[in-house]
Amino acid sequence: MNFNDYVFYVLAAILLFAGLRVITSRNPVHAALHLVLAFFTAAGIWLLLEAEFLAIALVLVYVGAVMVLFLFVVMMLDINLDKLREGFWEALPIALPVGILMTLEMVMILGSKHFGVDRVAAPTPHPAGYSNTAELGRQLYTDYLLPFELASVVLLVAIVAAIALTLRDRKDSKFIDPAEQVKVKRADRIRMVSMPADVEIPAAAETEGKDKA
Amino acid sequence: MIAFMQNLLGPAWPVVWTLVKIIAIVAPIMGAVAYLTLAERKVIGFMQVRMGPNRVGYFGLLQPIADGLKLLMKEIIIPSAANKTLFLLGPVLAIAPALAAWAVVPFDVDMILADIDAGLLYILAMTSVAVYGVIIAGWASNSKYAFLGSLRSAAQIVSYEIAMGFALVGVLMCAGSLNLGKIVVAQAGGFWQWYWLPLFPLFIVYFISAVAETNRAPFDVAEGESEIVAGFHVEYSGMAFAVFFLAEYANMILVCMLAAIMFLGGWQPLLDVAPFNMIPGFLWLIIKVALLLFFFLWFRATFPRYRYDQIMRLGWKVFIPITLVWIIVVGGLMQTPLAYLFH
Amino acid sequence: MVGLSHYLILGSLLFAISVVGIFLNRKNVIVLLMAIELMLLAVNLNFIAFSHYLQDTAGQVFVFFILTVAAAESAIGLAILVVLFRNLKTINVDDINSLKG
Repeated sequence: MNFNDYVFYVLAAILLFAGLRVITSRNPVHAALHLVLAFFTAAGIWLLLEAEFLAIALVLVYVGAVMVLFLFVVMMLDINLDKLREGFWEALPIALPVGILMTLEMVMILGSKHFGVDRVAAPTPHPAGYSNTAELGRQLYTDYLLPFELASVVLLVAIVAAIALTLRDRKDSKFIDPAEQVKVKRADRIRMVSMPADVEIPAAAETEGKDKA
Repeated sequence: MIAFMQNLLGPAWPVVWTLVKIIAIVAPIMGAVAYLTLAERKVIGFMQVRMGPNRVGYFGLLQPIADGLKLLMKEIIIPSAANKTLFLLGPVLAIAPALAAWAVVPFDVDMILADIDAGLLYILAMTSVAVYGVIIAGWASNSKYAFLGSLRSAAQIVSYEIAMGFALVGVLMCAGSLNLGKIVVAQAGGFWQWYWLPLFPLFIVYFISAVAETNRAPFDVAEGESEIVAGFHVEYSGMAFAVFFLAEYANMILVCMLAAIMFLGGWQPLLDVAPFNMIPGFLWLIIKVALLLFFFLWFRATFPRYRYDQIMRLGWKVFIPITLVWIIVVGGLMQTPLAYLFH
Repeated sequence: MVGLSHYLILGSLLFAISVVGIFLNRKNVIVLLMAIELMLLAVNLNFIAFSHYLQDTAGQVFVFFILTVAAAESAIGLAILVVLFRNLKTINVDDINSLKG
């Protein structure tokens, strides 16, 4: 066991723990925070696999943006937790066998019998000056140019859809359009009224006095 | 000396040496943060024709230490309805990314802790993680003011991060590398070679976004004292509050350092001739960062606070379009004979 | 010595955990979305492990696209969730049984 192996086992343990907490947390906020932890440790494991660009992109995109969105929504919604937790463990008798069966099947295929150290040799180390980012960029802009552009269109559609779905005109909001404010001319606010000076002041004062009395 | 220690420690040597380097970076940052608070009070004091702190030590030079001691002595109050673990995790998550990002900052030729190729991406990732400290602190406090402040602050940080990232895209298009050291080397040869000139709109957008990103005045609605008392850290006291304070100032120094590296040539001297290039590169970097930090303080003393919807409008409807247009302009010009402008 | 199979088994364990999570949290849409994210993470982990050990960057390009699509998916999913909550005041899957909003 060398240093990298220890790092792998520690990160794997944290990853599995975080994953378990995501699905069992009582409070969705805790679940979201554990998902953040899972993404972080996954990024660490990807670094072990020499995928620096994707590891950092995972932190940048998922931890920095997507999970913040999740947290915003989870924190702002006023959810009745007890109702959602009703019968939480009832599904376990079905879920656990399915999960265990799935794991066993996958371990049988993916185990060391077919993909062990003796079957798939450790890759040769990269030459000095190799950059994972540059290599990935070269691939994206040459062989995968069209899918790359399509991905950007997917993101654009997602942005437009998310905004269109959640946008609403609130009748009670006191929003002021700054453009309207700037456009205001003096004529819109002030009306000049020419009023001739009233000369019969004493008479007016007399009538007022009478009214009061 | 180093060879002797290497023999003594054997296999543990790389770990120890890295720790020594980390301390050599973090300790001066903490000192700089402490004296930045003093500088802020002094500068703003003089701008408002008063003296600023001048009681503790000569010229008030011991004031930051006195402040630190005071905050250390105070009790950390944890609200009874707060989520205790997350409440204490908040300050840690605020300061950790602010310090972690320094790992890839090049201070001089070969003076860098981790010379990784994706340095710029790493910094963007770390600064985007900083928002968690704010969100968690606001939520765990279980207080309306703290929660509203944290939502405002988080939305603001996430919004301006986009403009900031796009501004840096322009830099990496010019430099052709994500490695911060290489970006500085690409700007060699006098101040007209620095990227602030060809990328002037991006420089301005980056710098203003940096002010907004660190929640500094005039973009400090997140902690507007007069409306939501102090924003996300209203429930914090003593050292826990001090850690948020440290994180804010460490972030300020970090974004100024990045601006100096990306747009003002990092450790490159003003002109590559005799009197200028005698000054060590490290000192040049400090001079540039200090100049940019002075702008931060100047803004605070000058501008009134923005309203929240105005901040969002500025970020989304002004800055992001400007950066997008300028990136297209740069990309287009790089295909013409004018490409030498962007080398 | 950690080999390819270690990474693959870690991925499959994570995948199984998220499947169990979908069974358990069948009422809570938010945690369902999180379980899907976890599932995609497990898949990505396997892609990157294969890409590293078979020395083919195509796997990493694939992960890149999965990240893009998953980000779009969660953005739209959360937007729908917010609209749903605004109209029905609930995120319980059992209550979402009408096609009319």
